[in-house]
Amino acid sequence: MATFELRKLVKTYGRTPVIHGIDLFIPDGEFVVFVGPSGCGKSTTLRMIAGLEEVSGGEIRIGDRVVNEVDPKERNLAMVFQNYAIYPHMTVRQNIAFGLYTSRLSGAEKARKVEAAAALLGLTPLLDRRPSALSGGQRQRVAIGRAMVREPAGFLFDEPLSNLDAQLRAQMRIEIKDLHRRLGTTIAYVTHDQVEAMTMADRIVVMKDGHILQAAPPMEIYDNPADVFTARFIGTPSMNIIPAQSDAGVLSPAEGKAALLAGIRPHDLTIGAEVVDPALVLAGKVTAVEPLGPETLVHFEAAGQHIIATAPAHGQIAVGSRVTASAGRGRVHLFDGATERALGRQ
Amino acid sequence: MAMTQPSPQSGPRLSMRTRRAIWVWAFLALPVLFYSVIRFYPTIDAFRLSFTNWNLLSPPEYVGVQNYRDMFASAEFWQVFRNTFAYLIIGTPISLLLSFTVAYFLDRIRFGHGFLRALYFLPYITTASAMGWVWRWFYQPAPTGVINSVLGSLGMGQLDFLRSTTWALPSIMVTAIWAGLGFQIIILMAGLRSIPQTYYEAARIDGVGEFAILRKITLPLLKPTTVFLVVFSSIGFLRIFDQVYNMTTNDPGGPLGSTKPLVLMIYQTAFNSYQMGAAAAQTVVLFTILLAISLLQLWILRTR
Repeated sequence: MATFELRKLVKTYGRTPVIHGIDLFIPDGEFVVFVGPSGCGKSTTLRMIAGLEEVSGGEIRIGDRVVNEVDPKERNLAMVFQNYAIYPHMTVRQNIAFGLYTSRLSGAEKARKVEAAAALLGLTPLLDRRPSALSGGQRQRVAIGRAMVREPAGFLFDEPLSNLDAQLRAQMRIEIKDLHRRLGTTIAYVTHDQVEAMTMADRIVVMKDGHILQAAPPMEIYDNPADVFTARFIGTPSMNIIPAQSDAGVLSPAEGKAALLAGIRPHDLTIGAEVVDPALVLAGKVTAVEPLGPETLVHFEAAGQHIIATAPAHGQIAVGSRVTASAGRGRVHLFDGATERALGRQ
Repeated sequence: MAMTQPSPQSGPRLSMRTRRAIWVWAFLALPVLFYSVIRFYPTIDAFRLSFTNWNLLSPPEYVGVQNYRDMFASAEFWQVFRNTFAYLIIGTPISLLLSFTVAYFLDRIRFGHGFLRALYFLPYITTASAMGWVWRWFYQPAPTGVINSVLGSLGMGQLDFLRSTTWALPSIMVTAIWAGLGFQIIILMAGLRSIPQTYYEAARIDGVGEFAILRKITLPLLKPTTVFLVVFSSIGFLRIFDQVYNMTTNDPGGPLGSTKPLVLMIYQTAFNSYQMGAAAAQTVVLFTILLAISLLQLWILRTR
């Protein structure tokens, strides 16, 4: 069991800074998901925690020990990689047992732990197989098994589900979250997939260009994103952002560069439903219709912007027709036009 | 729109499979023909000639297994046989161990990497005869020979490298190992590079030491590369000729036949003594050894 702490953490490659002095405290037992686009520094941060990358500045603490100069093996962490990093020349049993290679346990004790981990992950019938005879999801479970048997102070996951298909990914999300619930170990998890972040995290850390934009529980980030980037990154489809002006408490779209940006999630911008006292009304010509089953996404042009709104499932909206979409009070996020920081809701 | 189905008759006369086969064999025909004439036919003919007595001038005369009987009865053949296996059994492991050590560490450095790699590879692309003569000069007595000069200036005794029946074979073997090292290093480095970095990272996080990583991860994953190099290098040592011939020109294979490998013996039997039948019999023995050793190695190092 351990806490992780990053203090003014900096990473530079040559003269190129990639992490700009980030601060973060991860309490014991928390499931933290680092999320952001490619190149935002989330993997680098995780690798620095693991000890695979040197720290250029600031410090990393595990528990109350500064680990900047501590060898990976001394940190008592376990890591699961995107390509699983399970050894093709070993059986599942040997792969899982490899996590205990340096442990001083007796052979019987090691075997018992391997069996227990395999049972927990549903790998018992596969123990004597080689990785080449396993599916992607099973391979990833072997990698998790190897990490688990060591009973580390913390788990690090580096995009562990990226190589799996969508269905398997959804299943593994639930399995990993369930594993966390049962083991209660601190987890730092890196992904570029905001759905993984939303569904699994106790707390999401949104990163961009080597900075932490926001670190908060998933629904807090969804409800109150700190800036335009976070607002658009979390939630699908992405939040609509339009230049706006506020006139005596009434919002309307603005032309060109505006002091205000209004953000409305597609689910809050409805077509064909009665909205009493709307905060914002947008009208335009439909460019595309995407029926999803329970609802239909309607793409239209308004105020020179591409907007996505939701309509009832059987709304019969034709491409080319004009629609009016409205958002209720308290559903419009306002951002500063220059800094793109959140200003609250209207 | 009218549906126009192409009638079966209007299609090509040959099936796609046949057309593809013709196309493939059209490309393969030339090399197949070439190899049949210059490789396979002489190889097979060597088996026939090994049962004859032929001096190139008169037609071959069938003598049964006489050539083999003479060969196995001669002391020289067994000396050559021992020499050949000495090259193989000492040369292959030493060259592999050396090249692996160099590749393993060269893979980890960035500074001067390209330069060092070129330096190691250079002997491989150098003419064997030129190299043989340079090394021959190294091995001369002082003051001509570099090695003996150094030994002398250190106050140590002189070594009669190429003129000693004990040291001549190891001296030539050093040259041969050095010549092949660059190639093996390149192949091993490619093998090392193909092992994903995350395997090592995962092991490091799991607390596995460098030596255990080498033993448990690097070497097992390098096995296909090693199999290739063991077979390749063994064949090379079994067929050693250039270095020996060029470093012992006064008495090829000497002193007293102590460095003579099978290929040199074949060469001498064929082109000094013009005993083509006997030379063919020796070739058949070499072929059999090569085949047996290669198959044995592939079997030992097979993937289970």
